[in-house]
Amino acid sequence: MKTLWIKLLLWGYAVFSMAPLLVMLLSSFRPTADIFDDPLGLPTGPDLGNYAKAWTEASFSTYVVNSLIVVVSAVLLGAAVSLLAAYPLGRRRFAGRGLFAAYFISGMTLPAHLGVLPLFYLLESLGLIDSLLGLILVYAAGSIPFNVFVLTAFFRQLPYELDEAASLDGAGPLATFWHVMLPLVRPAIATVIVFQFVPLWNDFFYPLVLMRDESKLTLPVGLTHFFGEFQNDWGTLFAGLVMTTIPLVVLFVLATRQIVAGLTAGMNR
Amino acid sequence: MRLAPLAAVVLLSVAACAPSSTSSSALSPSQSQDKVTLSVWGWGPEENFDKMFAAYEKLNPGIDVDARSFTTATEYDTILATGLAGDSGPDLAWLRAGPKLQPLVEAGRLLPLEAADIPGLKDYDEGVLRSAKGDKDGKVYGVPFAVQTLQVIYNKKIFADHGISPPRTWADMIAAAEKLKAKEIIPFAFGGKDDWMLPIVAGVFGTANWGGDAFLDEVRAKTKKFTDPAFVEGIDQLNKLRPYFPDDMTGVSYTDAQILFSSGKAAMFPGGLWELNFFTENAEGIELGVFTPPAPKGGQGLMPGFTDGSYGVSAKTKYKAEALKFAAWLASKDYGQLYTDTLRVFSAVPGVTPTDPLLKEVSTTFDQQGATYFMNEFAYGNPSSQTVFSKALQEMLLGRITAQQAAERLDQSVATWL
Amino acid sequence: MALSTTRRGSSYLFLIPAFLLYSVFVIYPLFTGLSYSVFTWKGTLRDTFAGFANYAALLTESFLDQLLPALGHNFLLFAGTMLVQNTLGLAFALALSRARRGKRLLQTMFALPYLVNPLVIGYLWTLLLSPTFGPVNALLSGAGMDGLAMPWLGDPATALPTVIVIMTWQWVGFPMLLFSAALGGIPQEYAEAARTDGAGSSQVFWRITLPLLRPAMGTITILSFIGSMNTFALVYALGGSNGAPAGATDVLGLLFYRAAFASGDVNAMGTSSSLAVLMFTFIFGSTLLLQRVLRRKA
Repeated sequence: MKTLWIKLLLWGYAVFSMAPLLVMLLSSFRPTADIFDDPLGLPTGPDLGNYAKAWTEASFSTYVVNSLIVVVSAVLLGAAVSLLAAYPLGRRRFAGRGLFAAYFISGMTLPAHLGVLPLFYLLESLGLIDSLLGLILVYAAGSIPFNVFVLTAFFRQLPYELDEAASLDGAGPLATFWHVMLPLVRPAIATVIVFQFVPLWNDFFYPLVLMRDESKLTLPVGLTHFFGEFQNDWGTLFAGLVMTTIPLVVLFVLATRQIVAGLTAGMNR
Repeated sequence: MRLAPLAAVVLLSVAACAPSSTSSSALSPSQSQDKVTLSVWGWGPEENFDKMFAAYEKLNPGIDVDARSFTTATEYDTILATGLAGDSGPDLAWLRAGPKLQPLVEAGRLLPLEAADIPGLKDYDEGVLRSAKGDKDGKVYGVPFAVQTLQVIYNKKIFADHGISPPRTWADMIAAAEKLKAKEIIPFAFGGKDDWMLPIVAGVFGTANWGGDAFLDEVRAKTKKFTDPAFVEGIDQLNKLRPYFPDDMTGVSYTDAQILFSSGKAAMFPGGLWELNFFTENAEGIELGVFTPPAPKGGQGLMPGFTDGSYGVSAKTKYKAEALKFAAWLASKDYGQLYTDTLRVFSAVPGVTPTDPLLKEVSTTFDQQGATYFMNEFAYGNPSSQTVFSKALQEMLLGRITAQQAAERLDQSVATWL
Repeated sequence: MALSTTRRGSSYLFLIPAFLLYSVFVIYPLFTGLSYSVFTWKGTLRDTFAGFANYAALLTESFLDQLLPALGHNFLLFAGTMLVQNTLGLAFALALSRARRGKRLLQTMFALPYLVNPLVIGYLWTLLLSPTFGPVNALLSGAGMDGLAMPWLGDPATALPTVIVIMTWQWVGFPMLLFSAALGGIPQEYAEAARTDGAGSSQVFWRITLPLLRPAMGTITILSFIGSMNTFALVYALGGSNGAPAGATDVLGLLFYRAAFASGDVNAMGTSSSLAVLMFTFIFGSTLLLQRVLRRKA
């Protein structure tokens, strides 16, 4: 009886969770005029016009490569350096540990828009305006506070005996990190990657400020073409959004597999 | 080193993108050999720019105009502010009108435009040109491109079906609204959720009350205040018209209001001329008409309008002569005609007559009954008076404060900077 | 403590890459931004040294009138996040840890809203909650609950709670995944041992599971605090830059945004930077304090 209730609640919440996404999906098959006639109606037929328009006018084919390069590199770079930093912060004692931890948190507590002008000048002086590398560095650096914080917490939770066992075996800190710790924080890495990938994949602000050459823009910038002040082309925008969200869903499913794999590994311990 | 494997991964992921970063300077559009490329930043659909500027490129074979369009809202202001501050910004750009132009002017990011370079400027109406001037030095920094008017857009078929014609008197308008309401058609599609719409609609229905430019001049001269009974009465019209707005109007968003009108559930839409384009495209089969609400105390109403923006020239442009020559063309009737016909909005260039019949009609009305939209002239300060007043109007519609109190808030806010 | 203390120097080597990248591309721009607060600005051009003049301007009536309610709303959002979002996240993690079938599917569905582009979240939810044609109100009146059919986002009394619900919708996947990962780290033998000692399932939860989840809760509490204090995108999407209706959803992030971008103030850079300094001092200080309190308890 109790489990039935729980099941009912879980699936009920799933409906609540998915309803807005369903509206988005259905609307992507409808011309904007139809949406403005009956915003929550059903598509009249399998109309792929919006998709065709979004694909060509938003230059998706050009931008998709940029988006992949930028976001994948930034997330990997950000996760890699954060992992390295989180390991001593979570597991080792050294002078200034508390200061370092606080330093890494501080970046999260400021409005990101505050640094736009100095960041722009900085990248200009480094010759990184209009460069994918510049965008990657900005994104990767921006993900560090969150990553370090979450990963540090995970490292701290691992049983202490692990380090001892490893150092008894004569392993140095890097070997301990690589062979002992890394496999154990896999679920945390997957979590961090998912939660950093999404906002970067959706961001259109930094590319607009830091890129001049149209061939270097990313996917979300293409979407903004349908989103002018008085010129909202909702149907096409939805189609574009569905297309940009699909890679995220794939990533998410893969990552949850990692998390679940990590969980089962934990259970077998 | 043991760090090697990880370092290699990091380096590889960075190196993967290195080639594209080095090739950028070589391919930069503004450096290709013979042709001069002028880059122009603005907002709105990019294809419109391409259409209009193709005409100039044809006339000037040595010039290539490269237009970039951005999302509006605040992103554009930030992008433009950083763009003009750096070395890789545009040669020309769309500038906001009035208050939001001043930070760029004061930072010295724009070239002042002289009549010697842009002959067309001397023909502009002073009221139009004012929005492109620096407040401190009085110099012109942009070639205004558009004038927007505020009025009521109506659904001709619904009016005809119910035997309603565009109202001649305020009483006519109320009678028409009553008639529609009785037939379960929402008279005015207007929502109070997005507060930026509120001063606009207050301008549509209230300008006749306070009497347009003469009143604003007196406020500027500090001989009158926004707490003047005429102004209070003007914004109080929103309270009086409340029964003819949608139910629960404070929860109705701008998009909701557009949908109510485009789906035929509402008969009239008080708002800007820019809505015409939107409704033509997205309210299929609806024939549009426009009218200006008559004055509540009898007689003709006033149609508020404002200059929407202007083309400025970057102080850092490498092609000053070419950019100024292009700006001169932007102040010409040729461009004005192209603009109004392409975008279906009024051109700010004097003497341009729109081809579109509906626009022509509005243009005639505006010539006779035009007035300055009050909010844009009084949007200074931090927090901006526009922000303060939009919020105050929303509270008024929620029944939390009276029209008098809303006017007092505007007055206090204006007093901080005027 | 049993933390490794050998070869201390290598700890710094591990920190260097993140430290450099973060210092150059995050800390340098942000703190330069903060330093702008002691100057007068002409647009993006630094003018003269201003001392505390920009701060003094913040302490005028027109700002304080906005600052205090906004801060209050930030705290309400934090409370809402803790009570609704994180509690649900924990509940889902627990329920799903026992579920046999549909686990992955449910997990994915719960977290999917996080993937939606912020460009449309405002549109989707205003549409769903619209008093004129929104299905939420239609369902409520259809079920005979006409009294509940109201302009959810248009009424100052319901707007902020509605924002909390939508925030939960968007973010619940995050505490759910973090709790799931933490639950996976708890050896099952603990619970089994307790059960063989005769503990009921609720006792196992309160005595065994919950205390072991404390570190994860600490992490989530801190992140929720920072997230609620710094929130911007969602409230902007739902209530615009003024925190409509009538400022009922106004928060510090919106206040900063308005001071920086939504005014014709030539000195907007100075005014907004000094506001950011105040926000930073408060948020960062409270975060460190909160962290200390949580550590001591755990």
